[in-house]
Amino acid sequence: MTRILDPTIQSAPVTATASLAPRPATLAGVTVGLLANGKSNGMALLDRIAEHLRARHGVGEIVRVAKTNASAPVREEDADLLAKRCAVVVTAVGD
Amino acid sequence: MAAVTARPGFDTEDPWTAIEACYARGWTDGLPVVPPTEALVDQMLGAGPWPADHVLLHEPVRDLSVTAEKAAINAVMAGCRPEYFPVVGAALQAIGDPAFMLHGPATSTGGSALMVIVNGPVAERLGLNASTNLFGPGVRANATIGRVLRLVLLNCLGCQPGVLDKSTQGWPGKYSLCFAENEAASPWEPLHVARGLSRGASAVTVYAAESGHNVLSHGTGDPERLLTCFADAMAGLGSLSPGRSAIVFAPEHAAHLGRAGWSRRRTAEWLYEHSWRSLADLKRGGKVEPAFYDNPSLVDWLYGARPGGAPDPLPSAADAERVSADDEAVRVHRGLGPDDILLAVGGGDAGGHSAFFPSWSRGRSVPFVTVEVPA
Repeated sequence: MTRILDPTIQSAPVTATASLAPRPATLAGVTVGLLANGKSNGMALLDRIAEHLRARHGVGEIVRVAKTNASAPVREEDADLLAKRCAVVVTAVGD
Repeated sequence: MAAVTARPGFDTEDPWTAIEACYARGWTDGLPVVPPTEALVDQMLGAGPWPADHVLLHEPVRDLSVTAEKAAINAVMAGCRPEYFPVVGAALQAIGDPAFMLHGPATSTGGSALMVIVNGPVAERLGLNASTNLFGPGVRANATIGRVLRLVLLNCLGCQPGVLDKSTQGWPGKYSLCFAENEAASPWEPLHVARGLSRGASAVTVYAAESGHNVLSHGTGDPERLLTCFADAMAGLGSLSPGRSAIVFAPEHAAHLGRAGWSRRRTAEWLYEHSWRSLADLKRGGKVEPAFYDNPSLVDWLYGARPGGAPDPLPSAADAERVSADDEAVRVHRGLGPDDILLAVGGGDAGGHSAFFPSWSRGRSVPFVTVEVPA
């Protein structure tokens, strides 16, 4: 018998380093974060989604963050801002 | 005696069927791989200076760490000989350098290849090709060292086509794009010396490359006439961006520059100065996107060469397609300066065929990264 080794690795499990926030019971009045990857039209898409969220669900404040570099991870300070102020975050990838 | 946990993988009675089993598990780049047996992997790992659990590459966007062991498994699969492993490891460290921001080149619609240029004594020792048929198939070291990078992206970083690799088209360089600089034919210092390493060191330089343009010139030995062809390729609207460029001069072309006494620096400066299109041309070609006007660095790129800089008031997004008389005289250069142009020498002695490779992305792309190969 010959052992053939696995060349793949599994993603770092999210639960190892973070836990999911509780799901809000309602979207009315909640603060919503928009996180765009920084390329064209990502934030435009999110802004349209925010309009729908306001109209249909009465969400509260909108916090907008666009990465300045699509290749790099979101900045720590932006991640902290979103985590502290928002109940939900919507992210989009523009191109 | 404590039980030994089996290393992740599968058992097979017949290694030949393992070739098909690797396909079935989605472990290949479309070409067959060498089934990575424990013995082959341990031999590969042993040829490098790193312990099995040493992290050669960490991808921060998804927090994925590629260990020396995983690199060795993929290197066996690629068909590398063990003695190639130090170069493989250095190349992985290079693309894993935070400055290289691998996530973009690895997943973007742009579909870039990972070019690896090898310099120093290791190139000859491993039989890396620096000469005839430089980018083409036929030489084990070139083919397999470049191949490991793609297998690592596929197998370790989830960059499967359509999953995380969203390349619109990609190009065949993504299979493997590794070569040695032809230092003997170069009139200049070796690339790694130009980038700050000592002559006696061996090194890899990595670059996120889009498909190359053949630059064909057989009619002149005059440096400016020769480089006019290169600048013209660099100024092509299809690949025009504020990003980087890599040119691999055929020995014949490099000899013309050397005979005329042109240094690498002088050549890069001339190329930068002469690779531009008018803003009017960019607009006529649909290359100015409305979103550019919201991005100060792109506004700087468009108007940096205009006397007085960007117009005041700044044009609006609606002006992205409106050509004004002023725009004919505004020069938009490829890249931001001569430092954005990497020049190397490679290929066979016969033929005036060189190559210009534009960088990945329609923005700045990512920088060149050079890493020393461990002895």
